[in-house]
Amino acid sequence: MPVKVVVACGSGVATSQTVASKVNRMLKADKINAEVEAVDLKSVDRHLKGAAAYITIVRDKREYPLPVIDGIAFLTGVGQKEQYAKLLDAIKNFKG
Amino acid sequence: MLDAANAWVQGFLSSVGAAVFVPIIMIIMGIIVRMKVKDAISAGILLGVAFTGMSMLISYMSGIIQPVGQAMLTRLGIDLPIIDGGWTTMAAIAWSWPYAILMFPLLIVINIIMLMLNKTETFNADLWNVWGKIFTAIGVVAVTGSVPLAFVIAAIQIVFELKTADLFKDEIYELTGIPGVTCTHKMVFLSAIFYPIDKLLRKIPALDKQADAAALKEKVGIFAENHVLGFIIGCLFGVMGGYDVPAILTLGIQAAMCLTLFPVISKYFMESLSPISEAVSDYMHKKFADKQLVVGLDWPFLGGSNEIWLAVIYSIPITVLFSFLLPGNGLLPFAGIVNIALAVPAYLVTRGNLPRMIILCTLGVPIFLYVGTAFAPFVTTLANSTGAVANLGTSMISNSCIDGPVFTYAFAEFLDVIHGNFFPMIILVIWLAGYFFMYRDLKKEATAKKLADAANEAADIATE
Repeated sequence: MPVKVVVACGSGVATSQTVASKVNRMLKADKINAEVEAVDLKSVDRHLKGAAAYITIVRDKREYPLPVIDGIAFLTGVGQKEQYAKLLDAIKNFKG
Repeated sequence: MLDAANAWVQGFLSSVGAAVFVPIIMIIMGIIVRMKVKDAISAGILLGVAFTGMSMLISYMSGIIQPVGQAMLTRLGIDLPIIDGGWTTMAAIAWSWPYAILMFPLLIVINIIMLMLNKTETFNADLWNVWGKIFTAIGVVAVTGSVPLAFVIAAIQIVFELKTADLFKDEIYELTGIPGVTCTHKMVFLSAIFYPIDKLLRKIPALDKQADAAALKEKVGIFAENHVLGFIIGCLFGVMGGYDVPAILTLGIQAAMCLTLFPVISKYFMESLSPISEAVSDYMHKKFADKQLVVGLDWPFLGGSNEIWLAVIYSIPITVLFSFLLPGNGLLPFAGIVNIALAVPAYLVTRGNLPRMIILCTLGVPIFLYVGTAFAPFVTTLANSTGAVANLGTSMISNSCIDGPVFTYAFAEFLDVIHGNFFPMIILVIWLAGYFFMYRDLKKEATAKKLADAANEAADIATE
């Protein structure tokens, strides 16, 4: 089973799927067995269970019980390398 | 020559429908932007899946909403014959327009020209919402029959989107704390109507309160979850239609299924379009590598604000209520009921002041219902002609959350003056007046702030 990573946006359709598609392609190219799933921000808590990391595109003040990756980096390209490295760490250190 | 090509395109399209035609174009586009052939074909087939899935879902939705609408009509005399397919339906219909794909190059060329002339700092990376331009263009075609004219109006929209993104970029940074991004979405256009009203509301000190939005959202947030919301609305319609309890609960679950699956299927559109959108994005970053670009994004990065969600949740019952009470409304709110396009502009003009957002959203609901009603005929015609929606029967379809409703209505319809209809032209003038008032005001504010910052800095240096 691939390791689950969650990315959320307002409707789980456009922005989150853009990030998910992009990161999935990067992971595939690097032969890493993980899958990014785009979900609806309103239901994100339900999807975070069993995920190795949460890629967020909003800045809220909440604390999450898993590594949080800045998803804006994948949209703008700024800081993308660092965020991707952080994601790889989170996947590597994930115990399931 | 062009006519012959056009006739062939129309003929081919009518024989296969959008679910085959648009994927073929996408595969060709994909190969042009140097995707691997196998990836391009995979993306193309996925696009066909998205179209067919949406068509299936929309027919299913019509199948459950139409009878209950009928029951409400006979029982209570509420006549709302237009089915609300929400924005996902509109996106599917927009992408099914034969010329839709040409909007990509238009957007990119205009953006490059404006960046080179220093007329904007924004690079619009939100290629998903190209469909918003397509939607306006389709409206122009419905009025004038002219495809070139449709692209001219779409070009104007693209320029307005970039200018509006520039205008709000500092404020968006202040509100979100995310540097280097702004919002290029058409929904921000409603701020041209909200801004002058908000200027008046700011004079009322009682409204100047900060609510504890986080705590409030924790309590009511569950109602905004698609399946819960769908269930509630389905049951409500069942009760109003005089259904018995098992039928009410069944309709509730069916409605919940619709609202849950719309985003799931719509996601495949995005997934199939993403390789092209990525290629464009990479190209633009390379081209303007030496320039500090502000990246224009779709609205969701603003979604960390609890105020937006509270305003959205508040607007749900208000929309249902207004739809029953407003004379002339024909839209039965359903799939478009989570109306972000109402809350985001209210959030931006009030800078997150919840009481004023609530007032603006209340005033905004009728606009969305009326524009949705006005657009129903052409949306229905297009949906039927491209085969974007199967088995719609005699019912009409539209959307209760058309982004930037005043702008979209005005710019799509104002050319109707050629048929002697001046109303959309008047709306256009009103929108432009509101826009320029807001533009001047915000620019003045920005300059004043810059001067004050500079003065403070000078003072700091002087005291040191």
